Amino acid sequence: MLLHLLVFAPFVAAILMVLNSKEDFRSATRMAILFAVAFLGLSIALVAGGNIATTPMEWFWIPGCKGPTYYYLYSHGLGAWMVFLSCGLSLVALVSARGLLGMNYRNFAIGIFSLMGAMNGTFLAADAVLFFFFFEAMVIPAAVLIASFGGEKRKEAAMTFAIYTLVGSAPMMVALWYLLTFADNSLLLSIALAVQGLPEATQLVLLICFLLAFIVKTPIFPFHGWQAITYSEAPAPLSAILTGAMSKAGVFGFIAWVLPVFPFNMTEISTMVWLGLASAIYGALMALRARDGKKLLAFSSMSHLGIAVAGVFSLSEAMLPAVLVLLVAHGISAGVQYFLIGVAERMTGTRNIDEMGGLAHKAPAFSFLFGAAGVMALAVPGTAGFVGEFTVLLSLWDLSPVCAGIMGFSMILSAAYVLRFIQKVIFGEAKHECKEGVKVSGLEGVAYGTMLVLLLTFGFHPAFVTESLHLYDAPAAEQAEETAVTEEVIEEEVEEEEEGEVEPLESHIVNSSDIAKLDSSLIQAGFSEEERKELIKQVIETEANIARSTALALEKQAREETQVRGVEDKDYEINDAEMEGHPATDAAPVNEKEASND
Amino acid sequence: MELQPIFIQLLALALFAIGIMVAISRRNLFFVLMGIELALNAVNLSFVGFAKTLPDTMSVAGQIIPLFSIAIAAAEACVGFAMVIFIFRNRESIDADTYSDMRG
Amino acid sequence: MTNIPLWLIPLFPLLGTIILASIAVASSPNKKGAPEGIVGAIAVLLPAMSFVCVVALASTMPDSGIRETICNWIDIPLLKVDIGFLFDGLSRIMLLFVTGIGTLIALYSIGYMHGDRGFARFFAYINLFLFSMIVLVLSDNLMLTFLGWEGVGLCSYLLIGFWNKDLKNCKAANKAFIVNRVGDIGFLLGMLCLITIGGAGALNYDLLNQFIQMLIAGGHVELVLPMLSLAAVLFFVGCTGKSAQIPLLTWLPDAMAGPTPVSALIHAATMVTSGVYLVARLSNMFVLCPDVLNLILVVGALTAFWAAFAGLFQNDIKKVLAYSTISQLGYMFMAAGVSAFDASIFHVFTHAFFKASLFLGAGAVIHALAGEQDMRRMGGMIKKTPVTACVMIFAFLAIVGFPGFAGFWSKDLILERIFTNCNWVFTGTWLADGAVPMNKIFYVTGLFTAVITAVYMGRLIIMTFFGEYRGDKETESHIHEAPAVMLIPMIVLTFGSIFAGYLWAESIGITFFADTLAPVLSAAQAFDPARMFNPDMMLEEFIPRITTHVNPMLFAALGTLAALFGMFVAWKGWGKAHIPSVKGASTAPEGYAKGWTFLWDYVHLFFIKAVLIVAWICDVVVDKVLQAFQWTISAIVSIVGDGATVFQVRKVRLQLTLSLFGVALLVLVVLLTGGLV
Repeated sequence: MLLHLLVFAPFVAAILMVLNSKEDFRSATRMAILFAVAFLGLSIALVAGGNIATTPMEWFWIPGCKGPTYYYLYSHGLGAWMVFLSCGLSLVALVSARGLLGMNYRNFAIGIFSLMGAMNGTFLAADAVLFFFFFEAMVIPAAVLIASFGGEKRKEAAMTFAIYTLVGSAPMMVALWYLLTFADNSLLLSIALAVQGLPEATQLVLLICFLLAFIVKTPIFPFHGWQAITYSEAPAPLSAILTGAMSKAGVFGFIAWVLPVFPFNMTEISTMVWLGLASAIYGALMALRARDGKKLLAFSSMSHLGIAVAGVFSLSEAMLPAVLVLLVAHGISAGVQYFLIGVAERMTGTRNIDEMGGLAHKAPAFSFLFGAAGVMALAVPGTAGFVGEFTVLLSLWDLSPVCAGIMGFSMILSAAYVLRFIQKVIFGEAKHECKEGVKVSGLEGVAYGTMLVLLLTFGFHPAFVTESLHLYDAPAAEQAEETAVTEEVIEEEVEEEEEGEVEPLESHIVNSSDIAKLDSSLIQAGFSEEERKELIKQVIETEANIARSTALALEKQAREETQVRGVEDKDYEINDAEMEGHPATDAAPVNEKEASND
Repeated sequence: MELQPIFIQLLALALFAIGIMVAISRRNLFFVLMGIELALNAVNLSFVGFAKTLPDTMSVAGQIIPLFSIAIAAAEACVGFAMVIFIFRNRESIDADTYSDMRG
Repeated sequence: MTNIPLWLIPLFPLLGTIILASIAVASSPNKKGAPEGIVGAIAVLLPAMSFVCVVALASTMPDSGIRETICNWIDIPLLKVDIGFLFDGLSRIMLLFVTGIGTLIALYSIGYMHGDRGFARFFAYINLFLFSMIVLVLSDNLMLTFLGWEGVGLCSYLLIGFWNKDLKNCKAANKAFIVNRVGDIGFLLGMLCLITIGGAGALNYDLLNQFIQMLIAGGHVELVLPMLSLAAVLFFVGCTGKSAQIPLLTWLPDAMAGPTPVSALIHAATMVTSGVYLVARLSNMFVLCPDVLNLILVVGALTAFWAAFAGLFQNDIKKVLAYSTISQLGYMFMAAGVSAFDASIFHVFTHAFFKASLFLGAGAVIHALAGEQDMRRMGGMIKKTPVTACVMIFAFLAIVGFPGFAGFWSKDLILERIFTNCNWVFTGTWLADGAVPMNKIFYVTGLFTAVITAVYMGRLIIMTFFGEYRGDKETESHIHEAPAVMLIPMIVLTFGSIFAGYLWAESIGITFFADTLAPVLSAAQAFDPARMFNPDMMLEEFIPRITTHVNPMLFAALGTLAALFGMFVAWKGWGKAHIPSVKGASTAPEGYAKGWTFLWDYVHLFFIKAVLIVAWICDVVVDKVLQAFQWTISAIVSIVGDGATVFQVRKVRLQLTLSLFGVALLVLVVLLTGGLV
């Protein structure tokens, strides 16, 4: 229910916002903020509640595809935190936009709510088609918002943004459709299994198609063309959401879709580490030269997300919590920086940081927040950014010290551009007269302050974030058992398969903790190849545990249906058994090998 | 002489041809629209004719689909005439050949 | 043993930070600012309370130290770090003077910062600094130390740029932070090296020491030596950043842009010595890598010499002290480089007192002259501000190593250790004798540096306090002695700079200081590299460390001689001579002196320029190329689109006809071929 609410209630809220009159500013703000608070509450409940999933419902059959597409949502630690970011940032954006927009507030809120719904859908979807649907749906409200509330070049920015991202994900659509023509259904596991049967060259092409969509969304060098203009032309609260939550969809896609679907193409994927590092350095260098405050932040985001992507593909054991903490930290800190530069823009009437300055004396409270936000973006220890960056650095170091060195260089550059930014905006003599009466309102101040406090809290107790990743195993195991029990009604043939499948799955879950221990000792002992293989499996497990167990249930349902229809069920099952058999048999020898190594 | 199904189809064909001819040859937009309506109705007729030929269990479809199509035709006519009226307000003309704005 | 929990020590300044920051933010709208009395009281009392805690703990501490684990910090695969504190001989010494001097300087600042608009903000920063510094020295693992490490860097940034209306200060602050960041990355990577060798547990000091002992006992040192050396080098890079050693030292002279109490506290007494502390704390690791120790020795010697020389050319009173600080830090690293870690910590201890009093004295002078820092506009101050002059002169005697003063004991100890402990022999066939014993070379460098120290410090004292007043008349009438709130800390620190040396006066038989540090450092200092590869070798079979037996009195005599000679040169050079009058407002040295002073700035400039050029290429070339590519594609698309419109026909009816024909054609094709597939 929570999941349904988080995905659909924002759209309902968007529709309800229409009830407000355009002229009545106050009631619109109140209503919007109340809704947003409710969603934030829901998302906190989601984060706290651990892993949950809805019952899958058949959505539709894509013509030409083998299996159905489901409406199926599930939440795991990563997605739940991303949902938290999207809800939280939307709330603050609505608060922040109060002083910015005035009359059009209602329409802005409508856009924000639909964007939020689409983002939540992206982060919670367990079905590839559903995921893709929301992934594309995000673009539309965002582009509309940019085109109607942006700066001078807003039309151009909106067009660039929409075309770039939509074109970027077009190859993924084709690849997905191609996969669906022979995958049993569009759930994660079936697709992953379908990929395994393909020749390597085809796998690589598919992989590139998938990667491209997420590379553009993140964005990663050299596909970042849309980013700077979009973030700088969009209204500041929207930029905050775009960078804080929407760009995370790219990194999320890498972790939740690319890695589980293409687990054995990792050797080719290591190029992504270099691309990630390249965009980290490139973004930092561009930020060093940027004059436009929002552009600077855009490039800084690119730099940080480049680091995150490099961390993802380092495939170290610490990767998942490390990247998660980094993403949460970046989401909050980049978000608050965008909100604050929006306030600065309001005060001075310019985005050019060369023309700002002296705000420390004009608006001390604002400057305090601004400076603190800047410092927290620097990944000073004690803030969440540090935990994220250090752990990602650790993952990269595991891969190769050279990568870690490059990342270190980008951290030095980040100090340079952030300090330059702070200095230009709040220090020195004022070059512009502050507009009178434009101040940070109390509510805004509290909102920004809360974000900073959150950063500190996660910095000193990152377990809040990382714990959510441990919640995997228990429910997954339960679910697997449930499916085993409920399926007794079905024919014997099916039941035999069932047991054959469920048992290795359970052993998987049991093994995952063992594997973790093994692996850490392996790494200390300096092994690399086994480690690599191991890590791959780790990723599959953490990401696909739930999907796997529920996919089993789904496939059974599908099987029942096919039986009722009486169409070629025998062949289907045989294929199925063959395909499912592979990972289970693969896993066992690898485990043994490691045990002997240890 | 019993009503042969082929007669119905022939009638439908004739109506369809007339409709298309009207739509193509007339310059007055109202006639174009009327031609299209005629063609649509010809198709409906064809459906009903087939419904008569097919066995009872399956003929239902042939009778239901025209109902849908009539409803859609009505809606289409509404929208179409509304657009024509709007265009007429702008252009003061209902000559189909003068409308070439859609060309890039 | 008292039952004070360790976390109370950092808690007090943290509380102070929070309270003062709230006061600062809350009082920002009103014109008058926060009430200075309350703010000052909070700012001094809270550090004082943690000082009391430290004293109470220090007096009753067991030899093995007190350990406390508060809670878990980071817990992910590969990395498990706790927040824990370790109070042992080393952190006791550090904490005592950090909190003690911190309290005194906070007291002094009440007078110095009187009437400043950011009074509350200043003390919030100072408290935050003390918190970070306490965490740095009190933590029981490297991660938490790093928290303090960056925390002090951050506070240094905030305080250098305290008067942020002037962009010059901001630039100095940025420089300090960025240069420190370079070192910090070294620290981070060093930690990663240790994790690679020993897992996340190796970040804990106790576990690290155990791990190293295990390595030695098992004879596995050779296996990990490359990685361990890398770790040691990277940690030392971190130290060069924080402690302003070659090549990361340019930020410290610029850091003098901050208020003077800040220079005294952060850039002389406490923060900059944290590099030395780190080396001492990791001494067990450093001694395993003799090459790294030699590197430290060389860097320390070069820094000490270069900075002392640069100090000769400075006209700004604070800049002289800044270079002097760098030079003294060089001494400390030299001591660490010959694995005399206790001597280096001893020098940290004494240096904290005399350098703090020098800075506070300089602050009092600047205060009296209403902000004038150029020594060429001073002179004859001894008549106007006798107390300040006495403080500075005592501290001067301490720093040059005049017998009986604090610096004498620590500096001579270092020089003696360099001579006796350094068993690095430089060999090469191209050398005349085939081998050069480096201990003599470094000893002479140290001694020569001591002479220069006496010269530039003598120059400072003479130019400031003796001769005729050279400033303008208007300021002269306003010259006044500092208020009591400033004088008291100065006097207390002066006592420290006279008597602190007697904690370890070997020639009169006091080794109290060495004994307190012994539980922490003795293992490392007694370690012999020869034992590394052969753990069975017994202690007696060590290669004798002390290569030459020299009477310790000889060292003392030579040191004293160096000090006296330097003072004599200073007196000859500046005592009577005409001091050049000032042209323009700049205090920066000119000519060859400029080249020497900014030598390392030029080196840095090279890297900065390189980065900027690459950034320029990214911005102007790469980005434009990518954009051009992007627009080419879009242009192609729109051209093709325009072309496609040719197929459109103008007339609606014709279009309809054509489409009918199209349908007919399709049907025909399907019928004729029997379907497209």
